Amino acid sequence: MLKLTNLTKKFGNFTAVNNINLEINAGDFFGFLGQNGAGKTTTIKMITGLYAPTNGTVQIGGFDIQKNHIEAKKLIGYIPDQPFLYEKLTGKEFLFFCGGLYKIEKNKLKKIIEETIDQLKIDQWVDKRTEEYSQGMKQRIAIASALLHNPKLLVVDEPMVGLDPQSALIVKNVLKQKASEGVAIFMSTHSLNVAEEVCSRIGIIKDGLMIFEDKKEVVEEIIGTDHQNLESLFLQMTK
Amino acid sequence: MSLLLHILKFKILTFIKLQDELNFKSLIKQLSASVVYLLFAIGIFFFTRNIITYLIEDAKIGMFLLHRFVFVVLFIFFMTVNIGNIVVSYSTFFKSREVGFLITMPISFEKIFLIKFLDNFFYSSSTLLLMVSAALAGYTSYFGLPWYFIPFAVAFLILPFMFIAGTLGAITLLVIMRFAATFGIKKVLVAIASVYGTAVILFYIFSSPVQLVTKVFEYFPNINNYFGFLESPIIKLLPNHWVADALYWISSGRFIAAGWYFYLLIVVSILFLLFSLYLAKKWFYKAWLVFLNLSGELSVKKKSNGKVICTFENKSSLKPRREALVKRELLLFIREPSQWTHFIIMLFLITIFILSLSNIDVMILNAYNIYLKTLIYLIIYLFNVFLIASMSLRFIFPLISLEGETIWKIRSAPLDYKKLMLTRLFIYFSVIFVIGQLLNFVSNYQFSIMLALISQLNTACVTITLVSLNFGMGAAYANYKEKNPIRVASSQGASLTFLFTIIYLVFLVVLLFAPLTNYFYAMDKGSFASLSQLLYTSAILGMISFIVSYLSITKGVRLFNKDI
Repeated sequence: MLKLTNLTKKFGNFTAVNNINLEINAGDFFGFLGQNGAGKTTTIKMITGLYAPTNGTVQIGGFDIQKNHIEAKKLIGYIPDQPFLYEKLTGKEFLFFCGGLYKIEKNKLKKIIEETIDQLKIDQWVDKRTEEYSQGMKQRIAIASALLHNPKLLVVDEPMVGLDPQSALIVKNVLKQKASEGVAIFMSTHSLNVAEEVCSRIGIIKDGLMIFEDKKEVVEEIIGTDHQNLESLFLQMTK
Repeated sequence: MSLLLHILKFKILTFIKLQDELNFKSLIKQLSASVVYLLFAIGIFFFTRNIITYLIEDAKIGMFLLHRFVFVVLFIFFMTVNIGNIVVSYSTFFKSREVGFLITMPISFEKIFLIKFLDNFFYSSSTLLLMVSAALAGYTSYFGLPWYFIPFAVAFLILPFMFIAGTLGAITLLVIMRFAATFGIKKVLVAIASVYGTAVILFYIFSSPVQLVTKVFEYFPNINNYFGFLESPIIKLLPNHWVADALYWISSGRFIAAGWYFYLLIVVSILFLLFSLYLAKKWFYKAWLVFLNLSGELSVKKKSNGKVICTFENKSSLKPRREALVKRELLLFIREPSQWTHFIIMLFLITIFILSLSNIDVMILNAYNIYLKTLIYLIIYLFNVFLIASMSLRFIFPLISLEGETIWKIRSAPLDYKKLMLTRLFIYFSVIFVIGQLLNFVSNYQFSIMLALISQLNTACVTITLVSLNFGMGAAYANYKEKNPIRVASSQGASLTFLFTIIYLVFLVVLLFAPLTNYFYAMDKGSFASLSQLLYTSAILGMISFIVSYLSITKGVRLFNKDI
């Protein structure tokens, strides 16, 4: 579903992402870990078409995000760390707006929105203007908006930021359910326990280079032999 | 198309909701703003009607020259809309978070461009549209045209005209960003500035207003006829010429002849829009990437070359808190391209103005008519004030809003907000004050030392008034969520401040006209020129400056303290 080939991004002389190769298939839940400034968000911005790679390609469902961006973006659901919401619209209006961008038929959209509201348990404040929302509420509306068009790939940047434990649990469950339904998930996170809990594959990026990438079972094996948990493995690798 | 309408529907919904927060305070704010706008429109209405009356009935310049005058005014208007759109488009197209959001959606780039262009066009041109509509109403009233001519002409004459200026601005910006990738932003900006400078010079060469007046007056008294054959064919290709000609034929009762220009304007505006969409399809995304790369490269260069103009690590003679504020202000200013580029553009304009002043001073000294002397002197003085007003609006008005999301740090720090705001205000005020004094010195040094000194004093009072007014209004209309200073300086509150400034400028003219005329009269007769009247005006300006600055700064600081 997602294929990164020799993906590189330079800003002047500075290489933010250096020659990343990665393939994520339907149903994979990929946890993308790295320190601050390692290149996680730059990679995500290239996947979603916000940045153009200096070298290499991003393919989503076989569509190159640079050459055939509309077809590629139809397959993506993007949840940024700081989501943009129109402040004067209510959460529900924002969902209708996003549904319209994916050209979802109105009656179908109404049904999907109700289901998503129910799934993410946002019914209490979905009719309030988003300017009144806390960071966690905004995050959940952004997640809801990314699920409306039934994406084949979910790109998630720091989903747990600002979420209370109840909300975090809801989000984790929704993401796990989506992965079990065959959606490929690319999630950048600093929450190592979350990555350990939900991801089926783990990648670690350092100074723009992918220094580790493997299945969760392999990670668990390494942890089992040399380390106590993912945190200590991560700290050692990124030292 | 349906997708475009869908997005526009929600944009309009957002805009309506922006206006519907009805509480007593906002109602008063909205009402006061409406009253100021209305008064301003009425002022423009009467001003236009009186100017036409004067030119036609007193100066007897005839219908043709009147419309050539309109042609020149429309050229200035065109350039204002055009440059305004280039500047504001940069923020709307590239700095807006909404664009980042829309780019991740399955929407074509030309659609994103169109949405943001319309957003930008109506946002930055609405005050100008109000001004031109009021002027059109004055025109309609003088020539006894039916009232429905006003909405008709606004919709099918003025809007297409402004649309051409706006789309040309957006096209220019796309060209700048596209070529900046290859040649570097500085070279491209210099090239574009040269093209605009050349265009302005060529406009005055080809339209040659003085020659035209002389040639037309050879046909006196038949000066109401159409003398298009006296003009260069090149200027007939300009949209402002089409509007001026359309108005000429309408006021002469020949509506069919005017129809052609309506048609031309509408067709050309559509063609410009289509061309801009074509360019957007090819270049919008590339331009967006250029913007991102430019920001990225800038930060890397700063790291790598090690040349740092201002650093917190250096020792300073300032007290710690003052040092922190001054250095923060300086660093934020030099690292925000929209701040320093605008400042450089303004300095460039000031330099051109200063260079052209020497001739004008000689013109004043040699003018055969006392009123003409006063008029030229006042025009120069007003231009000085206008530059001070523009700098205040651009750099002082956004001052409080730009505290932005860092306000939590300021509000939770153990400091006196009043001192903080006054320190920040003082930094900008000092720069504007020095520029104002310099401008005034250069425009007055050929006159008597006393007039020059009084003028320096007046300019100081004017600077204090305008800076304080912008500070107070900026606090009243603060928007902490807007990171972009250009958007803040072109918001509704800024438009309102601009209108207050214009009213202040009119007041200055009224206040200075008689004392200056008397002064020049005495100078002309070789008698002793009494300066007492001029000193009285300085005293009045000083008083106003004290009241405005006291009220604005007190109010501004109080508003900064309120809950957010």
